Amino acid sequence: MRALIVFLMALAASAEAAEPARRPQLVLGGEASVSWGPEDDGYFNEAAYGHNLLRTARLDLLAALRVGHGLEALADLRSENFDAPRVYALYLRWRPFAAREIQLQAGRIPPVFGAFPRRRYAQDNPLVSWPLVWQYLTTVRPDALPPSADALLAQRGSGWRVEYPGYASAAGVPPASAARWDAGLEARYGHGPLALAVAVTRGTLSDPRFEETNDGKQVSARVEWTAAAGLELGASAAHGEFLDAGLPLPPGRFQQRAYAIDAEFARGRFLGRAEAVYSEWDLPRQGGIDRPLSAGGFYVEGRFSVAPGWHVAGRVDRLEFGDVVGSGGPTPWDAPVRRLEAGVGWVPRRHALLKAVYQRNRRDAGYVRELDAVAGQLLLWF
Amino acid sequence: MVLRTLFGIALLSATAGAGAASVRGVVDVRLELRPPAARPDPSALETAPRREQPDRRRSVVYLERAPQGAFEEAPRGRVVLDQRGEAFLPYVLAVAAGTSVDFTNSDVTYHNVFSLSKPKRFDLGRYARGQTKSVRFDTPGVVRVFCDIHSHMNAWVLVFAHRFFAATENGAYRIDGLPPGHYRLAVWTDGQVRETRALHVASDEDALVEDFVVEK
Repeated sequence: MRALIVFLMALAASAEAAEPARRPQLVLGGEASVSWGPEDDGYFNEAAYGHNLLRTARLDLLAALRVGHGLEALADLRSENFDAPRVYALYLRWRPFAAREIQLQAGRIPPVFGAFPRRRYAQDNPLVSWPLVWQYLTTVRPDALPPSADALLAQRGSGWRVEYPGYASAAGVPPASAARWDAGLEARYGHGPLALAVAVTRGTLSDPRFEETNDGKQVSARVEWTAAAGLELGASAAHGEFLDAGLPLPPGRFQQRAYAIDAEFARGRFLGRAEAVYSEWDLPRQGGIDRPLSAGGFYVEGRFSVAPGWHVAGRVDRLEFGDVVGSGGPTPWDAPVRRLEAGVGWVPRRHALLKAVYQRNRRDAGYVRELDAVAGQLLLWF
Repeated sequence: MVLRTLFGIALLSATAGAGAASVRGVVDVRLELRPPAARPDPSALETAPRREQPDRRRSVVYLERAPQGAFEEAPRGRVVLDQRGEAFLPYVLAVAAGTSVDFTNSDVTYHNVFSLSKPKRFDLGRYARGQTKSVRFDTPGVVRVFCDIHSHMNAWVLVFAHRFFAATENGAYRIDGLPPGHYRLAVWTDGQVRETRALHVASDEDALVEDFVVEK
């Protein structure tokens, strides 16, 4: 720690020479969106905080205070469905050398893992929903343990309300969460077409945290390569303590480990993206649960501008789960889900976007196994 | 709405082409026009690159009503609107109808120029450094230009049906070839007509001076 402080002080001294002081500048921005769709009885689009992405009103207020010396403070205050505002992002970003691509960030920071959660909110999402791997609530929980494989399998397809014996019911977590950000430190270095980012944070991908609950840190990293103009490739990895420290745990480490690859290709009026995420969670080995629970998600999406102000878009999306052996034999521990979403977007004026989509969901288990929905979203930003 | 009429077809009895008179002057913009600031982007892992600061005080001076015959002789050519340092440079272009504008990309990142303005709707798609895409502006009017990727990037293209206009360079302007007649001279700055004033050209020899102060 002392070495780190000395290093940061040395950087600060260098930074003074690199960039002269300037008058602090406060820049504000905002985004308001409202999505509407039918009742989602199967909770296919349920995200954190009990909000369904097809029926959510959201307001973001963005602020950046640029104070010179390469230092700025950034914040995103968010309210969903008129709840009390939450701090979605609040951190310091520091670029100590004007001529070098080195950045340090500290606070509630954007994740370095994957590609989707850093996109510019609804504005950069050509559709209404989020990719399953970043949103869909599985039946794994950081604050409750299934006593057996059968108890785990009994919850398949009901991640929005998971009931394990001895615990109050609560929602599960997605393989990786785009609904909230983690708290910690981050460093990024870029050199030509390559960039490397590393972060140490309090929570995990599934359960980002502002407060410490799991007695451990997550380490995540991402390498990004701009292979050609319009083609970006990325690879990410993360591991960190997942289960709450207050649970009755046997000796050992109970981590979430995750890996991802992603690609973005843009040319002319076409924008295409693909991302694959694999995640596994360690649980105590009991009642037939004898290996980490695993999940893998993959999506491909594309957007094409058909005329000024008009685009069409589509996404094919899957989320699969590894097997556990219950009394009925090997079975995926949660119900695999498939989603197809296609739609059209219209920009009636600058800073306004209207989307209409058709969404088809299928799930292999659960009380409700299908959802076919037509939904819309209006987005305004400044 | 006001602008649409200003760029419309209004003829005066004077005949264009014969005149040698000129009007010149300075547009002194005293408005506080800050360069467009990028929206905060908390989701980025890196600091935004250093940006060019387009001059929003660049103004356009033009005749509201042009001499008869001016519409047939408007010069048609090519001009460049560069994209550099995540800014359109210059901030304002004034062109005659029929002119092609080359939108060059001088940045390392992609840009995507588009406009939703009625006189010219277009979307050039994403293109890389060193590439140029062109748009021909045939309809007089005001065209607002944006980048789909960088929301702080914007520019104006003012398309005239005649040749009696000039964009200021360091505040100065000059319009040549005016035939004798009564006109109205207008000043446009940052999206608005700021002032109009009567202009009387008595002879081909006139060298008129009209300075403007833009305070609101």
